[in-house]
Amino acid sequence: MTTPDTAQRVRAIEAHGVTRRYKDTIALDNVTLNFEKDKIHGLLGRNGAGKTTMMSVMTAQDWPSEGQIRVFGQTPHENEQVLPDICFVREDQRYPEDALAKHAFAAARDAFENWDAEFEQRLIEDFRVPLKTPIKKMSRGQKSAVGVIIGLASRAPLTVFDEPYMGLDAVARQLFYDRLLQDFTEHPRTIVVSSHLIDEISYLLEHVVVIDQGKILVDETADDLRDQAVTLVGAAEAVQQVVAGREVLDREELGRIVRVTVLGKLTDDELRLVKQLDLDVLPVSLQQLIVHLTRNNTEEHPSSEGF
Amino acid sequence: MTTTTLHQTTTNRSSFARVPAAFRLQFAVPWSFIWLPIGIFLLAWVLGTGIGFLIDSQMPERIPVEEPLSSMGAAQAPIWYLAFMAAYTASHTFPFSVALSYSRRVYLIGTYLTFAVVSVGYGLLAMFGFWIERLTDGFGRHIYVLGAPFLDDVGGMLGVGAFGTVVTLFFMCFGFFWAILYRRVSIPILWTVILGFIVVLLGLVAITTLNEWWPNVGLWFVDQTAFTLAGWGLLATVLLGGLNYWLIRKATVS
Repeated sequence: MTTPDTAQRVRAIEAHGVTRRYKDTIALDNVTLNFEKDKIHGLLGRNGAGKTTMMSVMTAQDWPSEGQIRVFGQTPHENEQVLPDICFVREDQRYPEDALAKHAFAAARDAFENWDAEFEQRLIEDFRVPLKTPIKKMSRGQKSAVGVIIGLASRAPLTVFDEPYMGLDAVARQLFYDRLLQDFTEHPRTIVVSSHLIDEISYLLEHVVVIDQGKILVDETADDLRDQAVTLVGAAEAVQQVVAGREVLDREELGRIVRVTVLGKLTDDELRLVKQLDLDVLPVSLQQLIVHLTRNNTEEHPSSEGF
Repeated sequence: MTTTTLHQTTTNRSSFARVPAAFRLQFAVPWSFIWLPIGIFLLAWVLGTGIGFLIDSQMPERIPVEEPLSSMGAAQAPIWYLAFMAAYTASHTFPFSVALSYSRRVYLIGTYLTFAVVSVGYGLLAMFGFWIERLTDGFGRHIYVLGAPFLDDVGGMLGVGAFGTVVTLFFMCFGFFWAILYRRVSIPILWTVILGFIVVLLGLVAITTLNEWWPNVGLWFVDQTAFTLAGWGLLATVLLGGLNYWLIRKATVS
């Protein structure tokens, strides 16, 4: 069992029974969740699922209507003991009127004690951020790059990125993932990334949280999650022999060949059977699995929108 | 590859340690609160004086020393600009300060310090203008924008500085108030407050008119000096400042 002291040492964020209500809407519904220190966490879910609200609450930009949130062992709201350790640049971040990127970076340099000015310069060159264009006149991708640079160069012990790739082209997105992973390896810290592009970021993630309609649908390590399901491809009858009785997440038929994704690991006996029947076993991509899980949840609660 | 543990303070930080940084944040874009207001002040002064000279040229009979021309309207221009900039700091700089994880309290203290410094700056500029105009006898033609002769009866150059400072501070807090109220409450409530504010103002005017209190109001103002007016303004500013703190405590940025 984890004692409170140990919990404080290993946990960056603890949410207990967190509910956030906006008038008649429940954005977060009784969320209990922990994010361990010095890991990259993925917060995934569909539009309107509650990702940004969760990120806002965990960074004290917003607060729970009910329940408790603790960051590095303390309640973060209005708490200058812990706030300097948090950086969360929103996807639709506002900047001071008429600010240029250099103004925003200078202000961030002043706010974060771990700020690395050299890293900032490298990132400005990497992302080709125009220094003489007011931020409000930048393209979507350039604005995202400003937010990404602040998040990375802040080296805040808790750094949160909300869909940081918006408007970034494929090259810039890959650049962000590379820089994030490289800098995280050199300076481990707690990073939370929300994304729709699950397969693009899945290799970065150690812990995956899927949120849907304000509730936590998945809270697993990435490895455990990948082990949760398996895809079998082969003759329909043969596949049926193996998957009988299991929960089917997805089934596609191409003539006599079927491709079935089922929940759960295959046992040794089942693996032998798979070999005998000459079936192919494919790993399930996180994106596929999460889409399946979310789709199942939507069928139970059909009010939510698409990914 | 080396791995560096990031600095994370575990000892107690002062709750106000980042106030200087929150203050500097307001000057991140240096022209907003420094160069543009100074430019507007100088431009308004030059325009006000220019209009004075235009009027002067149309009054060949005027004896300047006996009939000085005072037009103080231009002195307001930087105050209006600063009230709008104060609103912009609530609508734009506040969300950025939240991204930089300043507590709302630290952000507001930094903001009020900024307003105070800028207001004192305006007061000093107004005193400088007063001094120049007096030194040159209203640019040789007794034309005054900041140093009108009647001001000597209500506080003189220091009075102009004190009153100018407090009026600027009040209107900056006033501009900030409406923008932060917009962040804090829904549109129907915002409109209710705006209409309520207008109704209260009209109500006060109506009560004063019905009770024929206008002469008393006039006498009250006649009795005031620039310093006592500045005192009342400061009281109103402190009350408004407290209200702003109450509003920003739970203002969201989404």
